[in-house]
Amino acid sequence: MGTTIALEVESLTKTFRDGGRKSVRAVDNATFHVEEGEVVGLLGPNGAGKTTTIKCALGLMRPDSGRIRVFGEDAQAGYPGILRKMSAVLEGSRNLYWRLTVWENILFFSALHGVASSEDKAYFNHLLNLFSLEDKRDVEVRKLSQGMKQKTSVVCALARRTPLVFLDEPTLGLDVETSLELRALLKQLAIEEDRAFVVSSHDMDVIQDVCGRVIIMSQGRVVVDDRVNSLMNLFRTKAYRIVLRGSAPAGLEERLRQEFADASVGGVDSGTEVRVTLSEDDDIYRLMDILRGLDGVIDEISHEEIDMEKVYLEIVRKERERS
Amino acid sequence: MNLGTVFLAVFRREWTMIKRYLVNSISSLISVYFIFILIFMGFKSMSNYAMAGSLEGSLEGTIVGFFVWTFTIYAFSDLSWSLISEAQAGTLEQLYLAPCGFKWVGACTVLANFVFSSVPIMVLLFAMMATTGKWMNLDFVSLVPLLAITLLGAYGFGFALGGLALVFKRIQALFQIMQFVFIGFLIIPMRIAWAKFLPLAMGNSLIYTVMVDGARIWELPLNDILIAIAVGVAYLAVGIVIFSQCENVAKSRGLLGHY
Repeated sequence: MGTTIALEVESLTKTFRDGGRKSVRAVDNATFHVEEGEVVGLLGPNGAGKTTTIKCALGLMRPDSGRIRVFGEDAQAGYPGILRKMSAVLEGSRNLYWRLTVWENILFFSALHGVASSEDKAYFNHLLNLFSLEDKRDVEVRKLSQGMKQKTSVVCALARRTPLVFLDEPTLGLDVETSLELRALLKQLAIEEDRAFVVSSHDMDVIQDVCGRVIIMSQGRVVVDDRVNSLMNLFRTKAYRIVLRGSAPAGLEERLRQEFADASVGGVDSGTEVRVTLSEDDDIYRLMDILRGLDGVIDEISHEEIDMEKVYLEIVRKERERS
Repeated sequence: MNLGTVFLAVFRREWTMIKRYLVNSISSLISVYFIFILIFMGFKSMSNYAMAGSLEGSLEGTIVGFFVWTFTIYAFSDLSWSLISEAQAGTLEQLYLAPCGFKWVGACTVLANFVFSSVPIMVLLFAMMATTGKWMNLDFVSLVPLLAITLLGAYGFGFALGGLALVFKRIQALFQIMQFVFIGFLIIPMRIAWAKFLPLAMGNSLIYTVMVDGARIWELPLNDILIAIAVGVAYLAVGIVIFSQCENVAKSRGLLGHY
């Protein structure tokens, strides 16, 4: 039983020429895929090529080379009919008519996708309830707060009932509370509905919170494509925190530094805290040997709590050094 | 294809927008009426000077010309202005996500606008006729198809300029100039041989024949109608080609959503 591939991006490259002189490679040979029903995060700093990739898939930009398939169909050959399977909230634009009400916007944009039955309208009402917009139904969008506008944009994209949904920076410009609310909603939707979501963000918290898998882009390239959990495990297993009883044995820090460049030693209430990152599989034994050699008594060993932020910044930094 | 659903949605959107911008819609119409009044008073004062009688025909021509010109401006500016304002507002890219293709959304917009603009323009026409006391022949069976034929050229210009606006953005000045160029197309005498190949000109002359001389559409020279259709379709086709080319450029440079 094979899973259906919702989106397949293959060797996508897009270069922008600035007045014919400077050229910027916005997307550089990017390859990845998204399976049906999967929630994938597209993570990267500004200018990493996330929006360009999304717009190429939607036919809003023309790639220089590479292929994009949506549910097996070539996106360029199938344009514009292929759009039946895709919808999007785009970053940096309003996505909505400010002079129309929430309900009028929903009806208009869903009708463009031919979604207009009474069963569809029941679903629109369900979305309004879910997003707590039911009492804003007949309010003109321009009168709504930034957060509500953004929620309405998301509802309008969902109302098109497409099996693939792109959300480009959905939490950008929102206050913390609304951002958390929207993230919770997206998580719920991902569970409730069997659609594929591509959520782009420069904010790792959003991706960590909402997505099962993350694709990290940097300078147009895909640098990581992994499950969010395994990516975090990978780093978590390497960062250790060890608490030794009593004060630090003489020469501990120097001895550790010889082997582990980033090792640090500090005093805590219960004794001495050692923080160290291990890079090789047998490093843990070398660490133990050092501690035993200095007669250290281990009270506590734990993985360092690591968040995606560190992982992501580290990856992006390495990628920049390399190029 | 769900073109029916798309058309209905666009129709409803236009209607809602008209209601929301009612003051705006009415005031623009009133200003057009006042421009006409000024011209009309100019006529009257001129005819007071020893030219009485000789300008009678021109007055009727002016009313017809104004009537067709207003339709033209609405048709032309609907397309190009709405492209610009949708790009500015950030809804253009969403329209480009319609599975029927953006051109059909545009076509539906044009059609809806033709219907909605005809009501106020008819009011304007009655106001002009009432002011001047010149009551003209309003044979809708003849007028509606002739208007549609005449406006094809204006839509061509609308598509072309809309396309240019996608790529070059700030071209409003060109729009204003076009409004005056249209006046030129409408007042050029048809006895000039190449005039009939200009957009609007032949259609306008046929509308004049219907409204002033009281001819029905089937009494008009078939040749002239065919020329008006051919010219209109040609300008529309060129406009759509220019639009498509500009659209391609905008898509490869990534300019579609920006303004």
